[in-house]
Amino acid sequence: MHLLLLGVSHRTAPVELRERLDFSSRDVGAAVESLSAHSSAAESVVLSTCNRSEIYVAGDDPLRARDEIETFLSDYHQVPRDVFRPHLFVYDDVEAARHLFRVASGLDSLVVGEPQILGQVKSAFQTASERRCTGPLLNKTFHWAFGVGKRVRSETALGEGAVSVSFAAVSLARKIFGRLDGRRVLVVGAGEISALTAQHLRSHGVEEIAITSRTAAHAEALAAEVGGHAVPWASLRQAMGSADIVLTATGSQRPIIVREDVEMVLGRKRAEPLFIIDVAVPRDVDPAVSEIEQVFLYNVDDLQSIVQENLARRGAEIARAEAIVDEELARFTAWQRSRRAIPTVVALRQRFEDIRLAELRRLDSRLSGLPPEARARIDEVTRLIVEKLLLEPTEQLKALPDVETQAAYTEALCRVFRLGDDTHEPSERDPAPVSVEDGADHDR
Amino acid sequence: MNFLPLVLYAAAGAAYAIHFARRSPQAGRIATTLLILAALVHTFVIGMQTMEVRHVPFANPSRAVATFVWLLALSYLYLEVTTEERAMGVFIMPILAGLQLIPALSPGVERMDPVLDSPWFWVHVSSLLFAYASCALAGVLGLTYVLQFKEIKKKHLGYFYTRLPSLQTLDVMNSRAVTIGWLFLTVGVAVGALWTAQARVLAPNDPNLMAMSLDDPKVLGAVITWGVYSFAVLSRRTMGWTGRRAAWLSAVGFAIVLLNFLPINYFVTTSHTF
Repeated sequence: MHLLLLGVSHRTAPVELRERLDFSSRDVGAAVESLSAHSSAAESVVLSTCNRSEIYVAGDDPLRARDEIETFLSDYHQVPRDVFRPHLFVYDDVEAARHLFRVASGLDSLVVGEPQILGQVKSAFQTASERRCTGPLLNKTFHWAFGVGKRVRSETALGEGAVSVSFAAVSLARKIFGRLDGRRVLVVGAGEISALTAQHLRSHGVEEIAITSRTAAHAEALAAEVGGHAVPWASLRQAMGSADIVLTATGSQRPIIVREDVEMVLGRKRAEPLFIIDVAVPRDVDPAVSEIEQVFLYNVDDLQSIVQENLARRGAEIARAEAIVDEELARFTAWQRSRRAIPTVVALRQRFEDIRLAELRRLDSRLSGLPPEARARIDEVTRLIVEKLLLEPTEQLKALPDVETQAAYTEALCRVFRLGDDTHEPSERDPAPVSVEDGADHDR
Repeated sequence: MNFLPLVLYAAAGAAYAIHFARRSPQAGRIATTLLILAALVHTFVIGMQTMEVRHVPFANPSRAVATFVWLLALSYLYLEVTTEERAMGVFIMPILAGLQLIPALSPGVERMDPVLDSPWFWVHVSSLLFAYASCALAGVLGLTYVLQFKEIKKKHLGYFYTRLPSLQTLDVMNSRAVTIGWLFLTVGVAVGALWTAQARVLAPNDPNLMAMSLDDPKVLGAVITWGVYSFAVLSRRTMGWTGRRAAWLSAVGFAIVLLNFLPINYFVTTSHTF
């Protein structure tokens, strides 16, 4: 049984092609069922996000499977093979597992360490598993990948720190105010970035979003979009007085908030912090405002430099994350090797069991005089002898260090015990779907 | 007997430092476990001493320091357990270990002047020691607030930014610690004053009681401390002095407490030398 992976991602294909090969906009479950029906491979999973479309299969004939998957991709998306072939990456066995581990831990993402991907990998697997398209090999491989993703997340800082301007603003606000529940935000200027940041703030629980713009209609439109309320431009200062966070993003050529304004609205008594985020270029807020004790003023360059620092910090964590992937991959391949011994082990057991049963049958007439308990006891004892005899050889066979030695041992065993041709790996599909949670902590 | 808690506080301090520097959750759990162990051992030590001298041992300065360390450890543990926030440990443990050095090196003899044999004495000393423990927590919270405030204000989001809780959380915890500290300071100082007046009648010639006035540095120090914390409590409620100003006040307040508790207590005062 071999692992095979075919796919396109942001590393290999332009967005136009990725869009054409995207499964996520349609029913991924139907896609994986259709793939399963059109392929000789026993197990399949379709992973499709905005940055990647990947097909994982497990089967006995990787070459044939590859051809079938290409045909499937071409037929399903109505894209000629020649169009996507140059952009397709193909990995098998260890390299396929490595790729999946890297994807699950966010190492292969466009923004390295982004947190959603692990969930997307889980749901891709869940979808396939629910439709009984997965089997022992993909179950194990995907669950192993979930474990790798978890380890990378908890043991490295790969996913830490905001890597977009609006997230950087939100994380600063949380560092100043703690929970944002009950906080009030004033948005000045109704642009795209104000909308994005306001939405992030809203999702973190801010109570009230007031929006003001020179054009009242723009303010009202944004208010409707993010669930806030519009405030007339004339009462900007008043609105500032009751806000904890002020976000400015107007197209004004001159500062619209100067030090005197802020001093006036804060008054002498207010010592609660005021967080001003100025994402406008040119700036909306006079830099002198930051001289006021309780004001934290961040402009777009400040936020951008936080983002750069966080990206650099994530970059420094990549090596540690890769090391975890390597370590897990070594364990995974050891598991796979032990798995290759299974057909031999099964055949060997079958051989011994056949002999045992044959001997019992031969003695049947002589044992027929015994009471049923005694016969059951004989059956039990002979079974135990066979188990004990096979225990050590089985362990040794599974623990062999490399493929060549394993092949030599298997060969020897086949000859010595005349195991013949019945050593093929059982390739039946896993009968029951496996939930993502059940096996999330793969055995080591 | 006071060495074992010292060693455990120091070990917990090392674990808290590793937890803080590497942000390792495992080191944090080890740190908390060590601190709980230290507090238990310390409780046992103080319990044994209490059995030995038949009263809680804080009639001599070293023993009082040990009791203070024990109360601070318990208060900090309470704060950590209720807020699930371990970042403060790295600041508290040096105070615990540093102060525990005093009773470990010079345990002193617990001998009680008959003048002190009054229920008021216990109320006075235990209130003040507990107040000092709260002041220590507030001081550390204030210090960390200021450190992080500076980082955010100057836009150098660095070491403390990634490790400390939010400014708001620090401010709320600081406010609670200051309020509790102030309440116990008030009780401690008031009981001290009333009891002195009462004791003077009973023992008119006691030199200690004679020296008990605002001219005595320790008494003056206590009154100033009370003044600072009263201002902190009042200004927060009426003048909106929260955040950085409150943080500075509690840091200054704790500096005065330490000054009054150690050098003045040991070398300068003429009144509290029973």
